[in-house]
Amino acid sequence: MRFETIKTIYNHALSNPKVFFLTGDLGHAHLEDFKKNLPNQYINVGIAEQNIIGIAAGLALSGNKVFVYSIAPFITMRCYEQIKVDVCYQNVDVTVIGVGAGYAYSTCGGTHHAIEDIAVMRALPNMRIYSPSNSFEARLITEYLFTQSHPAYLRIGKGGEPAPEKEYPFEIGKGSVIKHGKDITIFSTGTILLEAVGASDILSKWGINAEVINIHTIKPIDEGLIRNRTREREAVFVLEEHNIMGGLGESIARIICESRGNRRPLFKCFGVPDQYNHRAGSQKFMRNCFGLNAESIADSIIKLLSPRA
Amino acid sequence: MSPPNEHLAEQARVIRNLILDMIFRAKAAHLGCSLSIADILVALYFGDVLRVDPAKPNWEDRDRFILSKGHACTTLYAALGLKGFFPLQKLQEYGTEGSVIGDHNTLGSLPGIETTNGSLGHGLAIGIGMAWHLKTKGNSRVFVLVGDGECQEGSVWEGLMFAGFHKLQNLVLIIDNNGLETLGDTSKILNLEPLDKKIEDFGWTVKRIDGHSFDQLTKTFNLRPVDKPLAIIAETTKGKGISFVENGFEWHGKCPNQEEYEKAKVELEGGL
Repeated sequence: MRFETIKTIYNHALSNPKVFFLTGDLGHAHLEDFKKNLPNQYINVGIAEQNIIGIAAGLALSGNKVFVYSIAPFITMRCYEQIKVDVCYQNVDVTVIGVGAGYAYSTCGGTHHAIEDIAVMRALPNMRIYSPSNSFEARLITEYLFTQSHPAYLRIGKGGEPAPEKEYPFEIGKGSVIKHGKDITIFSTGTILLEAVGASDILSKWGINAEVINIHTIKPIDEGLIRNRTREREAVFVLEEHNIMGGLGESIARIICESRGNRRPLFKCFGVPDQYNHRAGSQKFMRNCFGLNAESIADSIIKLLSPRA
Repeated sequence: MSPPNEHLAEQARVIRNLILDMIFRAKAAHLGCSLSIADILVALYFGDVLRVDPAKPNWEDRDRFILSKGHACTTLYAALGLKGFFPLQKLQEYGTEGSVIGDHNTLGSLPGIETTNGSLGHGLAIGIGMAWHLKTKGNSRVFVLVGDGECQEGSVWEGLMFAGFHKLQNLVLIIDNNGLETLGDTSKILNLEPLDKKIEDFGWTVKRIDGHSFDQLTKTFNLRPVDKPLAIIAETTKGKGISFVENGFEWHGKCPNQEEYEKAKVELEGGL
């Protein structure tokens, strides 16, 4: 994801001198072309996140299209007020790229985990949030950003994510139905989407047809699709690699609660249960600590759907 | 023959009256910190320093001015109005219900305003971004005005480090060194001095001047150090021009009452 995102920006920057790429001294081995071939459009600002966002806003106010890159928690939270005031309040063309969604930097510990970033970015007026689940989506979203000039947060994995077997219809702002199913719907976002697909596969063996929808555009969210599923499904679930506080789940829950009519599906969000993980381990280990894998989710859904639950 | 800079002194007198009128009418705060920068803005806008054109506020080759200490925005509003960016009558809207002209400068509210400010420590980095954009595009410069108390923000020092290292010679930082912040003396709350030595160590050319001397202000603003940004520590008096407001930290958040207003008007119109 990281490679495709940077490569896409680089390709545009080659022909557009108004494209700037600013890094907070991260992106080893991915930024060599920028550094070598476009030195006037590439700035390693150093380890200074407040400064990097302000500089980005100043460049954007001067008519440039600016991308800022660092590890997700650093570039969303150390400089949160700069993102609020300099980028969102002034409504300028800056995309904040946060690498390492969820537990991607698993062994680095809680300082490097991004489990609060969606919540804090969601709260900012004018901010759009994109959360691709693979390199294909990352590339299309980055291409789309060149047709827009709004503040954006692009939440990506740190690399090595499996590419999809084939490309599929993809529209910004619309949820993508990854797997069809008529009984229940599982919404997900980011690389953990694959676990939702896995859960759906398991559920099908139990006779439960679980639809999986990828919400790659978290803000503005596809309210129409969510309302539609609220009317049609007995149960709606959300899987996210993020705190259950303030993430995709709560965003969907609000839409369900605000929907007209008496119909309310069973609703449950699978995410990080509002706690830090103090143990070391792989991304898979971190997810497993909170049951964020296909088997656990399928098991939980079966229990929730059983008549005695 | 009138003494040099007399016209600047007259502009400063008018601007101080406009500041006082705006703040009194709106029952607003920040009188002291607005008055302390009045002479600085007069030198910038009326002393042949800033290259701006009120008829073309977005002229690409203009100089940029960023008021990072946005709480002193009445001074900027008054200077822009006097300069002709908008009719002076517009100032009557300051602080009224539903007005876009509030207690901090906001992008898009008035022509001539380059940025949104309010929360401290933001202006320098934005100015750096603008200076970076302009450095290969002619002679435009970027002026950023911060308060001395504002320099307690870490973000200011991130910007100082970056601009010095990258030799942004089209960037000018003005520090309104009035020695007071909201609750008292800057030197007693969190001392910044020796500011000149510290900023010099970050790779800047630093000048410490009388922030109420038009002669020193205009001469220093027109310095163009090579391969270094310029920092100007302007020694100022908070509340300058109104005797009972001068050096009173409480005037950061206090609005004059009717009696104080009338007394201040007498002092200002008398040309103090």
